[in-house]
Amino acid sequence: MAEIDDPHEQTLLAPIAHTGAGFYWAVAGLSLLILWGVLAYSVQFSEGLGVTGLHQPVSWGFYVTNFVFFIGISHAGTLISAILRLSKAEWRRPITRMAEVITVMVLFIGAGQILIDLGRPDRLMNVIRYGRYQSPLLWDATSISAYMTASLTYLYLPMIPDIAILRDRLGKRKLLYSVLALGWTGTKHQQRILNRAIAIMAVLVIPIAISVHSVVSFVFSMTLQPMWHSTIFGPYFVVGAIFSGIAALIVAMILFRKAYGLQDYLKPIHFRYLGQLLLIMACLWFYFTFAEYLTGYYGAEPEEMKVFWAKLTGPFWPFFWGMALCNFIIPMLCLVSLSRHTIGKVLAASLSVVVGMWLERFIIVVPTLSFPRLPFAEGIYAPTWVEWGETAGSFGIFALFYLLFTKFFPIISIWEIREGREGVKEVEERLISYLPGEVEEKT
Amino acid sequence: MEQLTSPSDRLIRVLQWVWLAVAFLLVGGIIAWILHLIRTAWSLGDTPSASIGISIVAIPIFVVFMGVVFYVFWGVSGHGRER
Repeated sequence: MAEIDDPHEQTLLAPIAHTGAGFYWAVAGLSLLILWGVLAYSVQFSEGLGVTGLHQPVSWGFYVTNFVFFIGISHAGTLISAILRLSKAEWRRPITRMAEVITVMVLFIGAGQILIDLGRPDRLMNVIRYGRYQSPLLWDATSISAYMTASLTYLYLPMIPDIAILRDRLGKRKLLYSVLALGWTGTKHQQRILNRAIAIMAVLVIPIAISVHSVVSFVFSMTLQPMWHSTIFGPYFVVGAIFSGIAALIVAMILFRKAYGLQDYLKPIHFRYLGQLLLIMACLWFYFTFAEYLTGYYGAEPEEMKVFWAKLTGPFWPFFWGMALCNFIIPMLCLVSLSRHTIGKVLAASLSVVVGMWLERFIIVVPTLSFPRLPFAEGIYAPTWVEWGETAGSFGIFALFYLLFTKFFPIISIWEIREGREGVKEVEERLISYLPGEVEEKT
Repeated sequence: MEQLTSPSDRLIRVLQWVWLAVAFLLVGGIIAWILHLIRTAWSLGDTPSASIGISIVAIPIFVVFMGVVFYVFWGVSGHGRER
């Protein structure tokens, strides 16, 4: 391997250059989860959806819950990264890459849940051949494919200078890095082009990300089902998506900080800022949830109330109150003061939110189907080992792909850190320009 | 302009073009699929306005993505070679 002189870059390139025993243990553990998922899916594939807990009237269960959950997590990346980049938040530099990778990974896994839920994946061809744009499901397919394309592009473009560093510094995978680096040499012209392209993508990706989760919510809210037919479902889903996305990002940051010794890059201040953002999102989430439930309760429409009470005091109460505890009470307790034990508190809150948001997705999908408006028999959903296996496998695939990514590319953007170090004076000038009377602003 | 004389340089260049072609194929495939759905809706008289309305938004977005990728590909790799 070529020698890496810069000690800062050495830390970031070390996970790619060297592989420790911990990596293999992690891969082995995750592979077991994936194996469970593969086994579960092979049973479902040969026996049909009858081996799951799905039935009439509850035809959507864990898979659709996972779909909504994973697509929600995907907002971590692109949206947070794009907003921080456009607002020139300097503390974003060590965070953006991790966020963008989460987006790409979970989008593929989220979309895959629909294939699993189909039971017979060959029926996907029907969507391709005979899809009808009157259906919100097809709006989903279109917006998710746009979001996938956008987030892949938005992940790749800022990676080009780092891939060129790998090409020049690392003695392995030369061909791969040379192809992907596109001949990057860091000239002013190249930098101008790349910065312009990143800025265009950052602007484009925000409305696309918002549209994706709005459209996911439309799958529910466009029906006349009790507690689904709501006008605030679009923004409610988007808020929940950003909320769960930030939480997942924090968990990933803390894990990789510990595993790869990135304490010098991911400092308590980063976690404090993200923790404050999480706290704001917890308040927003509570506001939307309160508004949604209060409106339903005040209307007291009989079919609506059946689902309402099933959630609050009926068979779904552990999920509902678990959601309230995980999404609001625990984050409030952990995040209200971050002056001491910042990382521990932020981690506890984030793990709680990840669990709470999965419960929230479950509590949206299943109870309504259990108590449908149409005169079907009512029914309770109980997942079998097949759904548990496929859920575990999905989380395993996400974690494994994320881990593998870090063995090929730096998980923290090297060039953006370098640019941040070199641009201290520029930041200082920008800060001064915000103050009154210091610098004449060009109009 | 630097000539791509060595076989490895030429291989890298070819692979970069293949990479770009795959990206175009992917996005082109999605656009073709949307157009196919419009045509199907039109021929069946199955509310083609819905397909057309969505495609008016969706297709330009995909075209812009490809434009950005091509812009970076051309600008970065072209200039790198010139240098």
